[in-house]
Amino acid sequence: MSESATSAMAAGGVAAPAGHAPDRFFKYWLIAPAIFLLLLVGLFPLIYSLIVSFQNITMMEVDTSFAGFINYAQLFKDARLWQALLHTALITIIALPLELVLGLLMAQLFLERMPGRQIFVSLLVLPTVISPIVAGATWRLMFDNRYGPINQIIGWFAGEPMTILWTVNPNLVYPSIFICEVWQWTPFMFLILLAALSNVDKSLTEAAEIDGAGYWRTFFKIVLPSIWPVMAIAILIRGLDLVRIFDVIWALTQGGPGTMTETISIYTYVQGFQQFETSYTAAIAFLVIAMLTVIVVWAIRRMGLAK
Amino acid sequence: MADLKITNLHKHYGGVQAVRGIDLEVASGEFTVLVGPSGCGKSTLLRTIAGLETPDGGTLEIGGRVVNYVRPRDRDIAMVFQNYALYPYMNVFENIAFGLRARKTPQAEIETRVRRAADMLGITPLLDRLPRQLSGGQRQRVAIGRAIVRNARLFLFDEPLSNLDAQLRDEMRSEIKRLHQELGTTMIYVTHDQIEAMTLADRIVLLREGLIEQAGTPLDLYERPATRFVAGFLGSPQMNFIPAQLTQSGGGWAIKFGDNISLALPPRQRNGFSDGQSVVLGLRPQYVTRANGSDRPGHQRLGVTVELVQPTGSRAYITFPLGGVPTVAELESHDVQRPGERIDLDLDMNRAVLIDPESNRVI
Repeated sequence: MSESATSAMAAGGVAAPAGHAPDRFFKYWLIAPAIFLLLLVGLFPLIYSLIVSFQNITMMEVDTSFAGFINYAQLFKDARLWQALLHTALITIIALPLELVLGLLMAQLFLERMPGRQIFVSLLVLPTVISPIVAGATWRLMFDNRYGPINQIIGWFAGEPMTILWTVNPNLVYPSIFICEVWQWTPFMFLILLAALSNVDKSLTEAAEIDGAGYWRTFFKIVLPSIWPVMAIAILIRGLDLVRIFDVIWALTQGGPGTMTETISIYTYVQGFQQFETSYTAAIAFLVIAMLTVIVVWAIRRMGLAK
Repeated sequence: MADLKITNLHKHYGGVQAVRGIDLEVASGEFTVLVGPSGCGKSTLLRTIAGLETPDGGTLEIGGRVVNYVRPRDRDIAMVFQNYALYPYMNVFENIAFGLRARKTPQAEIETRVRRAADMLGITPLLDRLPRQLSGGQRQRVAIGRAIVRNARLFLFDEPLSNLDAQLRDEMRSEIKRLHQELGTTMIYVTHDQIEAMTLADRIVLLREGLIEQAGTPLDLYERPATRFVAGFLGSPQMNFIPAQLTQSGGGWAIKFGDNISLALPPRQRNGFSDGQSVVLGLRPQYVTRANGSDRPGHQRLGVTVELVQPTGSRAYITFPLGGVPTVAELESHDVQRPGERIDLDLDMNRAVLIDPESNRVI
């Protein structure tokens, strides 16, 4: 609220009775409870885990004395951690563009009026409605080496029963994850981009068409700039989701074979709730927060979203 | 040579016939205005010429080439849209240059042509601005600039002035007229505003329900409307339509109204008349004046009681009953003071039109 509006309100007798000088800090009192609540819910766990990360708590002992940077030093020596970060980056870098491009193509397709469009859109969006852990479990069944329909169908074409180990074979385990992930989240991109595309002013593309622009020029110079603010948000949301990816992979492979598909979220979970390295886990969490903050701030600047 | 030739053009959307068999030829350099009430098919016709819609029947020729299925970019046309359709993320220069870039024009030539167009429209100081930083009139100039920079064979305007306020509209209207005189290119202009149509057009094409009602020069349509619809659409205030009967009186014809008032018709209007025939008399408010004593041939004098006075400054619209219908006359403002006044009016029957109430065609 602006200064003048506040003092006008105060002068009107709402905040201070007539004759008293208006309280300049009144507006802060108004928002104080909300700020307090936000800090309590948002900041407290953060600070608490920061404190824990400088202690030495494990399942065996609860040592709450200051342990210095031991846990943080440990981070740099932990090869499995950097592997996990690498896996996470790999999944994000491959799945995100796939979902974006497929979603965009589908949205482009469904932009035209056609019979049954509503029904198709609703059906296509279904995967996004399912909880990721359920989607993962479903695909686990689909990929099952003996009972799964996928092997069954491939078997029909091959003419002999197939027992492909989708979630175990090192060459197939990532493709399996991508299939499940892209299947579930492409519709999200599709839906958002469909909304964005249908909002593009039709006379702009018509003007470009008359001006002599081809499909790609029109797309990159007219359509893309128009949908970019929405698309950037979708990329950001999906990007962050992918960096935090857990459920699907946990349901499909539990990070296996070995630690081949272990992402940073899975590794953090394993450290915290299977190994009970509580303080070390807190340090990992802080490393991830620091990295993500840098990336998100850079991305928001780069995408021009803050403007 | 005709720049545009349309033969028996049809276009429908689902079950709705938007254009139902239109024949039209537009000569090179001509300024043609497509005018009509909303839903008459004028915008559909323009969009079909532009190639934004595909015709369902008939042929469309631009510069002697059938272009029914030719893409808009290959039709050698330029178009100005109602909502300007400026590219919001490009500055004015890039907006105007877009079509040239799309056609791989060399940079140096783009530079000169954009600057020439900008000079012509007085928007050179705005070249670095974004569309959202411009006023409505400036946006309209940029949109026109984008069209003229390409030297297209055919310029299409889709209600370009309807989003502007009244004063700017007058200004841009003369601007467009001036541009047409300077460039001499063929222009097709869609509007629902009859003043725009009258002032801009070399030729008006008046559309109604997907068909051409009448085409001709503005004065042709104004003075010699073919139907009651044309007579009523052009002119402001609207032409008066008064139901009456033809009667034979003496050597000539007269028309008789329900209230037993009778007006003699000038001698030339008589072919195919029959006694007692029902007609509608069409008389423009401008052809009714305050009687000043001198009798001119074909003019009739009528004493009336003024019911309503609407001053507009130099002129005043008065309403009086004639044949049971409120009839409007446009007088000098000093001709009449207040309602209830009795005055003598002079009706110019030479300019009156007679309409057959059955077919609504002018007799």
